Amino acid sequence: MAGGAPAAAEQHAGVHRPGGPRPQESAAARRMTVTTLRGKHHRGEPISMVTAYDYSSAVHVDSAGVDVVLVGDSAAMVAHGHDNTLPVSLDIMLQHCRAVVRGAPRPLVVGDLPFGSYESSPAQAVESAVRLMKEGGVDAVKMEGGAASRVGAARAIVDAGIAVMGHVGLTPQAISVLGGFRAQGKTVNSALKVVEAALALQDAGCFAVVLECVPAPVAAAATAALQIPTIGIGAGPLCSGQVLVYHDLLGMFQSPDHSKVTPKFCKQFGDVGAVIGKALAEYRQQVEAGSFPGPDHTPYKMSPVGVAVFADALRNIGLDGAAAAAAAAADAGKTEKIVGDGKPHEGDNINNGILSSAGAAV
Amino acid sequence: MRRSLSLLARQVARRRLLSNVPESTVYGGPRPQESSAARRVTVTTLRGKHRRGEPITVVTAYDYPSAVHVDSAGIDVCLVGDSAAMVVHGHDTTLPITLELMLEHCRAVARGAPRPLLVGDLPFGSYESSAAQAVDSAVRVLKEGGMDAIKLEGGAPSRIAAAKAIVEAGIAVMGHVGLTPQAISVLGGFRPQGKTVDSAVKVVETALALQEAGCFSVVLECVPAPVAAAATSALKIPTIGIGAGPFCSGQVLVYHDLLGMLRHPHHAKVTPKFCKQFGNVGDVINKALSEYKQEVETQTFPGPSHTPYKITPTDVDGFANALQKMGLSDAADAAAAAAQNSEKGGEPNGNC
Repeated sequence: MAGGAPAAAEQHAGVHRPGGPRPQESAAARRMTVTTLRGKHHRGEPISMVTAYDYSSAVHVDSAGVDVVLVGDSAAMVAHGHDNTLPVSLDIMLQHCRAVVRGAPRPLVVGDLPFGSYESSPAQAVESAVRLMKEGGVDAVKMEGGAASRVGAARAIVDAGIAVMGHVGLTPQAISVLGGFRAQGKTVNSALKVVEAALALQDAGCFAVVLECVPAPVAAAATAALQIPTIGIGAGPLCSGQVLVYHDLLGMFQSPDHSKVTPKFCKQFGDVGAVIGKALAEYRQQVEAGSFPGPDHTPYKMSPVGVAVFADALRNIGLDGAAAAAAAAADAGKTEKIVGDGKPHEGDNINNGILSSAGAAV
Repeated sequence: MRRSLSLLARQVARRRLLSNVPESTVYGGPRPQESSAARRVTVTTLRGKHRRGEPITVVTAYDYPSAVHVDSAGIDVCLVGDSAAMVVHGHDTTLPITLELMLEHCRAVARGAPRPLLVGDLPFGSYESSAAQAVDSAVRVLKEGGMDAIKLEGGAPSRIAAAKAIVEAGIAVMGHVGLTPQAISVLGGFRPQGKTVDSAVKVVETALALQEAGCFSVVLECVPAPVAAAATSALKIPTIGIGAGPFCSGQVLVYHDLLGMLRHPHHAKVTPKFCKQFGNVGDVINKALSEYKQEVETQTFPGPSHTPYKITPTDVDGFANALQKMGLSDAADAAAAAAQNSEKGGEPNGNC
């Protein structure tokens, strides 16, 4: 297999892996914690946060050097295709968390408490948060809302030794009372509530607060009033950091058949949806034209002797057509050099598709 | 009749939006794809393609967006593969994924891809104990997972019997021979099959047995092209190849591999050599994320065009006054300054 790094400890001898994940030792050494985040905030360095929901997105977010990866309940919408964040369960969130943790050893990993997993009581909130840590493997949890009961829940979770990121402004789980995904803090009272809720969450021990979809002056006020960092989304530039949803910032949903709209506060930093569409169209075209797979992508071989014996065996069981097809295919693919005498021998290593005694690894 | 009813149900279900007036709110949720659902692919459509010698295209998908992409590209079959264990969940093999988790993947894909034929993989451990277990699992994949058909691996007599039982339960089955990744334990790794005469003959025989059991197609994985050609010729049902050369009735590839999703140098996951990379999505993603990070750190993002929510000047004053009264004079100043800045349409000023 290509790739320079020697096999990691988790690879067992004699088992081929197709280049599965490797531990990223150097990355893990520069691991983000709530302490490193506090340091950034004190130095006035903006904090970057992006959502991820599975292994490959986690790898990408980690590789790009983003500070915090949020396993968001936005998974309900962007991964599962629901219209809002309500349907995703804690069990599903745990699966998303695990996959992300496997892919991102360096950033701080925050797991969202999904709708219905923490609102009944502080005890329920603590239990759910514990599951996210214990079974999900995350470093911290996020919960939405600033009502007194939510603040009480946050406090209980912090008291249980779990770092909590708060979330005020537009809180998508409250879509029912909000009457939709509507920006908040646009009146004086609403704006004050945002600031007060953020302060209360700080008081309860939160290490950061997300401000979602509020006017910039409101976010600025909250950020100034707080000692802990604010992470904004649709809240203007005057927050301590920013967060965006992975799919939105990548322009993932650009297929013409699909009219999912990127929120207007979200800049598209890439056109991944278009790239994907183009690649898939190309694959389809090449398969339908018979040009993929060509010889470059048809690596597994049989020696001419092998093919002849195979064809004989097929004829013996009455499959003459198949025998002819095998012979024709072998003729068509006769561009590879065969190493050695071309005859199969006992104990020959034929790992890489070429019959050889060199035994090259796949 | 049943088909169009279930289609209608799906469309109605999708329109039942919980958000109020979704078009005008922050997140315009996903919309139903009525026109594409009309050209739905069935096992009959595939049979027709096969008869006419038109190659069948299959791509894996594991979630809503990948399903949308595969559907939009006009791919015939969307396979919810247990390869999810590796590309979505980051394991080294396909073994760890459970049926429960596969069902979640199936559901998400079903929401995103109304047009292609949807095939759900039976994961390792969900069908090998008995034919009854196999039928139960297959039923769940259709009933709870929303799939149109299932795929199972292997050609041992017990697997063939399981396939037969599932077909008799009214569930279309796609077989899978050659390299069967769930058998990594006995195979001793992900090793190509059919390289010796005996092994090659076995591939053809098991494919025939699966056809006999009622399978509507068979995947041939990592076998030499002559072996795949022989099997394809011997069968009446289509063969779908992966690492099996060009003489199959169709081809399948893993979504992430064909897109070049995991190519970042820090990450050593290797695309299999039979897989052509039709795109460089991993590079595009890396570039976009790096740019986002850079713009956040230089406070270039969000600029005015991505700061859409406003508060009137009167309300800002009221807000600032109230903050002053609460003893939050810094906050009051910050609010006022921010409002002035956005009025001028100028650069964001300073830092938190």
